[in-house]
Amino acid sequence: MDSVLDDIRVLDVSGVIGHYSGYLLADLGADVIKVEPPEGDPSRYWPPLLPGAPEGEAGLTFLLLNANKRGIVLDLERDHGREAFRRLVADADVLVESWSVAESERLGFTPEALRALNPGLIHASVTPWGRSGPNAGAPAADMVAVAQAGLMHLNGLADGPPRNLPDHQGYHCASIDAAAGIMAALLHRDATGDGQLVEVSMQEAMLIAQETAMQQADILGTDRTRLGGLRPAGFKMPGLGIYDTADGVIFAMCSGNAGAGFPGLVELMAELDGAGPIHEEPLRSFALTSMNAGQLAIRIQDSADAAGILDTLARIEEIVAAFFRGHPTQELYERGQQGRVLLGPVNTPADVSADVQLEAREWFREVPDPGRGRTLRYPGAPWKFERNATGVRRPAPRLGEHTREVLEAAGIAS
Amino acid sequence: MSSEDRRPLRGLRVLDVTWFGAGPIAMRTLANLGADVVRIETHRRPDGLRLVAPKPPGDASLNVSGFYNNFNAEKRSVAIDLARPEGHELGLRLVRWADVFMTNMTNRAVRQVGLTWDEVHEANPGIIGVYEPMQGLTGPHTEFIGFGAVLSAITGLNYLSGDASEPPNGVGTNYPDYVINPGHGVIAILAALRHQRRTGEGQLIDMSQLESTVAALSGPVFAWDNAEVEYQRNGNRVPYAAPHGAYPVASYAGEAGRWIAIACIDETQWQAAAEVMGSQAWTADPRFATLEARKAHEDELDALIEAWTSARTGEDATALLRAAGVPVGMVLKASELLADAHLRERDYYAYLDHAEAGRRAYDGPGFRLSETPHEVRRAAPLLGEHTFEVATEILGLDPDEVGRLVAEEVLY
Repeated sequence: MDSVLDDIRVLDVSGVIGHYSGYLLADLGADVIKVEPPEGDPSRYWPPLLPGAPEGEAGLTFLLLNANKRGIVLDLERDHGREAFRRLVADADVLVESWSVAESERLGFTPEALRALNPGLIHASVTPWGRSGPNAGAPAADMVAVAQAGLMHLNGLADGPPRNLPDHQGYHCASIDAAAGIMAALLHRDATGDGQLVEVSMQEAMLIAQETAMQQADILGTDRTRLGGLRPAGFKMPGLGIYDTADGVIFAMCSGNAGAGFPGLVELMAELDGAGPIHEEPLRSFALTSMNAGQLAIRIQDSADAAGILDTLARIEEIVAAFFRGHPTQELYERGQQGRVLLGPVNTPADVSADVQLEAREWFREVPDPGRGRTLRYPGAPWKFERNATGVRRPAPRLGEHTREVLEAAGIAS
Repeated sequence: MSSEDRRPLRGLRVLDVTWFGAGPIAMRTLANLGADVVRIETHRRPDGLRLVAPKPPGDASLNVSGFYNNFNAEKRSVAIDLARPEGHELGLRLVRWADVFMTNMTNRAVRQVGLTWDEVHEANPGIIGVYEPMQGLTGPHTEFIGFGAVLSAITGLNYLSGDASEPPNGVGTNYPDYVINPGHGVIAILAALRHQRRTGEGQLIDMSQLESTVAALSGPVFAWDNAEVEYQRNGNRVPYAAPHGAYPVASYAGEAGRWIAIACIDETQWQAAAEVMGSQAWTADPRFATLEARKAHEDELDALIEAWTSARTGEDATALLRAAGVPVGMVLKASELLADAHLRERDYYAYLDHAEAGRRAYDGPGFRLSETPHEVRRAAPLLGEHTFEVATEILGLDPDEVGRLVAEEVLY
């Protein structure tokens, strides 16, 4: 199978903020050349490290996000490095960089200068705040963007500190939007021959992930805040949230009419444990007809019998929690999902690694890494195409591994 | 708004049979890039987001949810009951019209409306079909269902978020639905379009939301698989940097209880932070002299920083640290972002007039193209707003026929 981008060359001179965009384009078949300074990308040194690999070749963050890329070293602080870079830009289809405006001016690689070198160039600028506005150029990092996109405010316990999202979601969102913009620009270039600037602000890339917070502020003038999960304030909704199981933790979303809803959970309880108090009146009717968090919130607010409703909910919660505690996570997950009950195990990374569905779809891939003397297990692609090859074909480059090969092919003395 | 449409996907025909978040947001991005996105909906089983908050107080209309409207701007809505034989035939005619078809419904719902890949491909062999069920189109869990919050649990997002002292509550939203999954979907569609334009071939794209989410969360899995490193949820800390956390400030915008995020990614940033915070002694202290030492004494380090931030307003702390080159930012709220000077200058939010919801804010673009810019021209459609237009212009029905189908509740 052909790859979609097998004719496309990408220069990736970005910092960690842009690594995943080059990773995605490389997954689609592009020849992505990672351009690093003489000391290497900083993430080459970030813990956690691959055991036994030499310094600079062991940073797992680097090894993951730079799979499929070739790697060259150019010293852009020096004339000959910048000259070589200009030559490579002239022949490239796409450039991904993360310079501030001031830095791009200092290096002489402004959008205008790059465009003059190569009018067909798709130039992606991936920065924390974008290239304009009062914050442009301000120092930032992944978590700072998550904070400034409103997402930390929504994550954490109600009375606790705001929480970041794991594994560089700011960098990943910025990179995903950069890759999407590059693909759109590429379609335009295929049709017209014209390149353009693709500008991504990490903060802006994440703003839509506030879910309903922006719209609530706009429509109702109130701010959503963190509540420790999806629990509506004020009462504990049975069947909604996390529960201890016999051997782990499971997440349940058995409210309203999603999937088999709470009645599906009631049925699952009968299937696994036989009939219990929840299958008898007075609880049965309530459990089968009233377990909608939104509607209950209104009833509790309005009803004279709020205390009675809360008491019933507490009894049901006790029964539900005992049910989950009595069964292993995988049994609940498999049997529940067979009945369309919305359950999902709270998986650890090791659980994800061993997931039977990912295994059945041959999602992970073993990739030999001769330079580091071992085979690495890489995650799969976010997509499966019927007609186009994707996936990790080669490990991340060693520092400067392809400098000579790339520069010679470009007719540049190294 | 320019008079000439320069958007890169103008002329592209997209059939949107998606709902909730991951599908509609991908489709909205294509619409903003100029594609003609036609959404099939029904009154009998409306998109769940049409039903939920935020809505104006007391307004139960299916057309005023900010949740729904934000993700569906710029599209047309045609109301067809696909469960009726005549409705299904009209649906297939839209399939024949389209270049791209997408759904993120469950496999079961897709079978119920008769739009499986076999059916879609048979109706239009050149089409690109994107199917985005929870766990993909094959495998033992292909029928498993969920929402972003369930996905957050099974992908490890919950386990890794928060602090070890807290249960794995999740991240407060259906996070994977909003950028990761729709974003990967957009990239995949544009890639398949390039293949289609080079070869004339359409194809099936099998998007598993599980795989798409884990792909953007795979650092900890990669570390487990290759180094047996067991990541735990660890507050706001990361293995490669310290200090890295959220710290309380005395006040921000005159309000108590606010937090500032500070992340020193390298030694230069740490030294700059230490200098600003008034104590060069910190950098000389063996407990803090290297990253390894700071990680070993992170509680003590965080206590010193917290003492400094707690004595200052968020405004002052941000200005001082930012001027010194330290990555810093207040933990902002949605209302502040709507009014944010930086986002305003960049014209991020779009304000669009909607017949029932009024003038409302919509999220702007996640990426900006200099020569073929994204545009948001139209607010979200009312349910079935474009039924007549689509029925007559695309399906070629005459007005009498449309009237009959509406009377018979095939169209709405």
